[in-house]
Amino acid sequence: MNRRNFIRNASLATAGAFGVPYILPSGRLFASTGEQMAPHVVYVLFAGGVRQQESVLQRYLDDSQGMPFAGNIMYNMFNGDAPENKIVYGTDQGNGAAGGTPIPRILNQTLQSQGLLFREVQAGSAGHYGGLNNLLQGSTVTTQGLKQKPLNPTIFEYLRRHGGYPASKIWFVGNGIGNSIPLLNYSNHPNYGSRYGANFFAPSITFGNLGFEHLSNARIYHPENELDPMYQMKYFLDQSFSSVGEGGDSLGNTEEEKLSIKEFMRDMYERVTLNAVALPPVTDSYDALTIGFSCEVMKWFKPALTVVNLSGVDGCHSDFTGYLRSLHRADHAVGHLWNYIQTQIPEMANNTILIASPECGRNLNPNPIKDINDWYGYDHSDANSGRVFTIMAGPNVPANLGIGSEGNPIGLTSDNVPTIGQILGVKNEIMNAGFLAPGSTSLFDRI
Amino acid sequence: MKTNLFIVFLALCAVVGSCKKPEANDLYEVNQVALYPSIADKNKMKTQEQYVSILHTNLFQTALSGSELVQIIDCLESIGDKELGREVLISNFMNKPGVILPSDSLMRADPEVFVNQTYERFFVRRPSEAEKTWFIEFIQANPNLSAELVYFAFALSNEYLYY
Repeated sequence: MNRRNFIRNASLATAGAFGVPYILPSGRLFASTGEQMAPHVVYVLFAGGVRQQESVLQRYLDDSQGMPFAGNIMYNMFNGDAPENKIVYGTDQGNGAAGGTPIPRILNQTLQSQGLLFREVQAGSAGHYGGLNNLLQGSTVTTQGLKQKPLNPTIFEYLRRHGGYPASKIWFVGNGIGNSIPLLNYSNHPNYGSRYGANFFAPSITFGNLGFEHLSNARIYHPENELDPMYQMKYFLDQSFSSVGEGGDSLGNTEEEKLSIKEFMRDMYERVTLNAVALPPVTDSYDALTIGFSCEVMKWFKPALTVVNLSGVDGCHSDFTGYLRSLHRADHAVGHLWNYIQTQIPEMANNTILIASPECGRNLNPNPIKDINDWYGYDHSDANSGRVFTIMAGPNVPANLGIGSEGNPIGLTSDNVPTIGQILGVKNEIMNAGFLAPGSTSLFDRI
Repeated sequence: MKTNLFIVFLALCAVVGSCKKPEANDLYEVNQVALYPSIADKNKMKTQEQYVSILHTNLFQTALSGSELVQIIDCLESIGDKELGREVLISNFMNKPGVILPSDSLMRADPEVFVNQTYERFFVRRPSEAEKTWFIEFIQANPNLSAELVYFAFALSNEYLYY
């Protein structure tokens, strides 16, 4: 009996014993009939708590340290001139001053001019995990714990359940494994869960020193001569145990998808060794590493949805100078990401929509911690922490359009989930599921 | 009174005399039987730490150091599909020096003993007759199958996640 016959017979036997719902747990065999605006979405969770004052409002030191120096340090994302004085956010090359050389812009045309900017959006939470959950669930559940999987379905699960996307087409690339980040790839909701979850890597671990030590030396088995019989035995053992328990944490990657992911991992270990990962030009931050491996994931898998979490700017609690540097680098990383898609991944060029939103803002007033420049740090807990932006670019996104202003907030961070749903054709299913925060809707409906 | 004391004395003698430590080589004509838990009793899922520690012990016959355990758990955390992560980990273990596996010739010389021992090693139970028959036939039907792959399948199985 070959492997496929074995699997087919096992499936039929199980169905006969327990009923058809075991074959079709999703209730859907085919992709949603909703019309797509684009086949690919890249969603950047940007980037660890960003003040409006230093991002969209481009006030640099003018609205934080009482110094009259304004300017735009995110010139891949936003239109506007860079600051002319007190430059600390760049690299240390050139004139010798620490951070005195701004990183050259990557994009010829900013994302703002290419697309749509919601200037003043209400964040669902002033905290990181609540904010990230809001960006991925489209809601913020008051009982959501910190070391707990999302309680409501995530965008990953909506897409896989209602859109029929296979596991290897839905990816989440995390900046690490701290702060419960690895828990975010699927929810605990009984109607969704792991079988609709996203594949996840935390590149700093998976492809860092620990990954090299414990994961990079995998024995390579022949897919048909060795892996096939191994899986047959596993499936037999699982069937024997099926009346008692099940694995419970599988994402439903098929054998072919698993093989592809393992080949990708091998390729990454080789690329790391050869220093050939698609990193941005300036790589002195973990966010750069995360973006570089996200580019590699996209190039390999061409996902329908790639979610990338950046977090470098959170150093602002105690280091405002470092915050400015991280913000500048996060913009640089997003510029690299967009440029890489357009120039290095033909299958995704010109048919990918990018969305970026901070999970939360930061306080209006500083805390008492000073950094090396005697500049104060900022935490995130007040009303100013609920002020963020959302930027989008790509096909079918209106170009050079700004919505809302400092005195006229429009949009919620929870809107991003139905927005992605609309782009990928499952908006109605998401809206009708009943889990979104009140008032949430696709950002395209707010234009 | 004297009669009562005499009766008590006789009773004590009888009790002391009748208490005798059994000889080590007494035979009760009952066969020695190893007791194993039933598959139905496995209703608790192992933690990742337990899974990795037990896996290492099963494959290397030695305990994993605490620092290595923490590092491996971090690695598994960094992969979203936990089943895939376990698969990668097992294939890394299989490639390490020191892994203790029965030879393929030993497996083929007596598949029944091999299957019994593999079930006991990984599942801490004996296989049912149906399980034993299926595995013996599978081994015999696949001449290129190695003991390593059998161990791999057991280590990756759902039952191995439970105790």
